[in-house]
Amino acid sequence: MKIELKLFATLDQYRPQDADAHPVEPGASAGDVADRLGIPREEIKLCFVNGVHAPLDVVLADGDRLGLFPAVGGG
Amino acid sequence: MQDRLERDIQRLMAGNVPERYRANMSALSIDEQLALLRSEVALVGLGGLGGHVLELLVRAGVGSIVGCDGDVFEDSNLNRQLLADAQTVGTAKASAATRRVELVNPDIRFMALSAFLDEDRMREFFVGADVAVDALGGLADRPALLRAASDNDIPAVTAAVAGFSGYVATVLPGAPGPADLFGTGPADEDRLGVPGPAVAFAASVQAAEILRVLRGKEPRLAGRMLVFDLERMNVETVQL
Repeated sequence: MKIELKLFATLDQYRPQDADAHPVEPGASAGDVADRLGIPREEIKLCFVNGVHAPLDVVLADGDRLGLFPAVGGG
Repeated sequence: MQDRLERDIQRLMAGNVPERYRANMSALSIDEQLALLRSEVALVGLGGLGGHVLELLVRAGVGSIVGCDGDVFEDSNLNRQLLADAQTVGTAKASAATRRVELVNPDIRFMALSAFLDEDRMREFFVGADVAVDALGGLADRPALLRAASDNDIPAVTAAVAGFSGYVATVLPGAPGPADLFGTGPADEDRLGVPGPAVAFAASVQAAEILRVLRGKEPRLAGRMLVFDLERMNVETVQL
């Protein structure tokens, strides 16, 4: 199955080429995807799936849109 | 003696829209324009976000605004801060804000404190305001601002940026906000900087949300965050 990945601010450096249709194993969680991309979990402050805040252990489904957001404070 | 704000209010009540607000119609009704003129906003931070938010609220016709910032403009502010220019570098942000408001819309009441406020002083600063605006830089002082707004039972409209990414959110009294997620440690802007378009975009979304709240409309970003990445041209609203 495939998901859409949105990585914000510094997390964009981990963006894979296939972020728009990123293959994941059935049963994989948002945290599993982050681990495989080498994103340190402590850098992820907000995880959201299809526009709703979710924990990193949320199990993904085909076609999900996964967003990962780090700490941001500039103004 | 009747001041300029009172004069604008009297005119609007008689159905005459002052020329400076004519292009707000009919995105705003006369009653909504009146509501803005009768509103008060408390703005913490007069730098990147704050300068743009102030500009938009002043032009929209928010009748009373109090602002605070203890900082002085530096050259490194020039890439994004509307109030920073060749003449204001080295001077207090609060003074530059006062001059700008007099120049752009002398009809409104504006008062700026050249001070950094701790939580107790922020709580006092918010008394009488309809909305608190978090236009701070960095993560350290944001939780105190949100608590002070909550203690005054007013919503806070908050935003932050790193690189071309950022967020805007409205925090209702007692509700959790982005500050609870992000903590007070280091943040991404230390590495990515704070470019102008991201700051002006976030400030513009804040201003639009503030104008909704002041007109008595339901805030669109309460319990939500608008997140954006202007490098990828990705904008999304997330339910918290």
